[in-house]
Amino acid sequence: MTTLRMDSQSQHIEVHKFYSGAVIGVCFLALVLQAFLNRFSVRFQILELPLLVVVYFGLSRRNSVTGLLLGTAVGLLQDGIAHTPIGLYGIAKGFIGYISSSIGARLDTEHPISRLILMFFFFHIHQILIALVMRLLLSQHEPFFSIHLLTASLINSVLGVFLFAGLDRLRKQ
Amino acid sequence: MEVPSRHRPLLLLAAVIVSQILLLAFQIKRDSHVRLIRVWSVELLTPLQRGGTFVISKIEGAWFGYLDLRDARAENRKLTAELDQLRLQNQQLQSQAAQDVRLARLLGFRSENAGIPMLAAEVIGANADPNSQTVFINRGTSDGIRHNMPVITPDGVVGRIFEAYPHTSQVLLISDRESALGALLSGTRTHGVVEGTGGPLLSLDYVSKHEDIPIGATVLTSGEDRIFPKDLPVGTIVSAKPDFPFQAIRLNPAAHLNRLEEVLVLLTQKPFPLRPENEAQSSRRNSKALAGRQTAYASPAAHPVAPPAPERSLASTKPKPKTKSPIPPSAKKPRALAPPSLPKSSGAASAARAPIQQPGSQKVSPAKPQKAPAAKTSQTLPSKPQQNPQGNPHK
Repeated sequence: MTTLRMDSQSQHIEVHKFYSGAVIGVCFLALVLQAFLNRFSVRFQILELPLLVVVYFGLSRRNSVTGLLLGTAVGLLQDGIAHTPIGLYGIAKGFIGYISSSIGARLDTEHPISRLILMFFFFHIHQILIALVMRLLLSQHEPFFSIHLLTASLINSVLGVFLFAGLDRLRKQ
Repeated sequence: MEVPSRHRPLLLLAAVIVSQILLLAFQIKRDSHVRLIRVWSVELLTPLQRGGTFVISKIEGAWFGYLDLRDARAENRKLTAELDQLRLQNQQLQSQAAQDVRLARLLGFRSENAGIPMLAAEVIGANADPNSQTVFINRGTSDGIRHNMPVITPDGVVGRIFEAYPHTSQVLLISDRESALGALLSGTRTHGVVEGTGGPLLSLDYVSKHEDIPIGATVLTSGEDRIFPKDLPVGTIVSAKPDFPFQAIRLNPAAHLNRLEEVLVLLTQKPFPLRPENEAQSSRRNSKALAGRQTAYASPAAHPVAPPAPERSLASTKPKPKTKSPIPPSAKKPRALAPPSLPKSSGAASAARAPIQQPGSQKVSPAKPQKAPAAKTSQTLPSKPQQNPQGNPHK
């Protein structure tokens, strides 16, 4: 694992780099799985693999611009395969990529508990953004919070802990 | 303008989100199938356009209302003159429209009574004497107008021809003090004499105090004056006060005597057909009235004037009121016939008997109606028709 330390007077930032093509490959894989798994069972709709990937790379790269662009790109691709208006997930995941990379530069994101908690909150922020856009622009009543969403957030958070640990192996040493 | 490096990611975030919102707005269509981005554009630009229009209109208003007034005075003068001209035209048109209405009524009246010869005339002047209620019409002897011919409007009796000139005639209105005509109440068929008072109201005289006179009752011509055909409306009762031996009854003329413009001169004394509103009352009371008349006619002394002939000549006699009054009929004549208390001139008394020929068939009476002094000094009833053939049949 390669760790770049940026020492300054006020902060200490570790920036992780990944093997070439790993970021793009993981993102495409997440999108494909998201679409592929939903074909077999509606229970898989509770998973939000693209969101997990965006959060992970945002927390790891700790570059808000990169996180923003990555989240936007993943979100737009998800819009393309989800038959939703182009930009719905793009806005939400772009914002999540931005704040995850910003928070990753300030908090310890390597511990599983912190990852669990962060993933839980990012999931709900993502859902709030989706509901906000759908209410304001599409005039559709999308709930901000529900038991189903709580369950989904917990499942995705737990899944994220394991997924993040697996993705850590793609980091450059 | 250079953006600080620490703000660049935030700026980029805003740009990405805004661009995606615009992208969404381009795709989303609202209920009216208008793209959301178009709705936003319109709602964004419309207030600006509205504000711009408001500002420009205010500037234009200030300019044209306060600053650019170079030709305002001349234009105001021109418009004022134009307005005066239009007002004048409007008045003329209104007057013409009113005249059309009146003429239409006259024409309708003539059409309803096509069998009765009559001549339309226009009032061209009035008498300068305030004590004399006369008007001039634009018809004269050259048109067949003769002395004592009745003058009416569709509303009712107006008067009679007082003087006939070649191209004009003078009409003595029924409101003149010198005027009187035989009348009867439409309901009770009570007879009396309508006389002018010189004012707006008329007086119904020689009605016994025992008679019940309803206010608002219609007074019609009785035809017994040998001038006016029977059953023409004269007026409506407005007041009836008991007096001795007769009642003091006032009535409002049916014709608008103070605003006469077009009149009809009857060339005959043929009775008019009864109007529907009078016909029912008339038929109901007819038997009672006839019974009363037969009783009255039974005494020749009480009726020196013969009952009206089926075809009467104009101005053949004075009105002979028939009432149930205790006063003898000889005392119930109009002023021309002179109440018993007043002296009566023989000239006025016999004027009604002066023969006036029907237009085109009869001789014109040379008689001229005499004014009040002679009429009011008459002493007797016209029991002797030959006494004065040139008297006023009414007074």
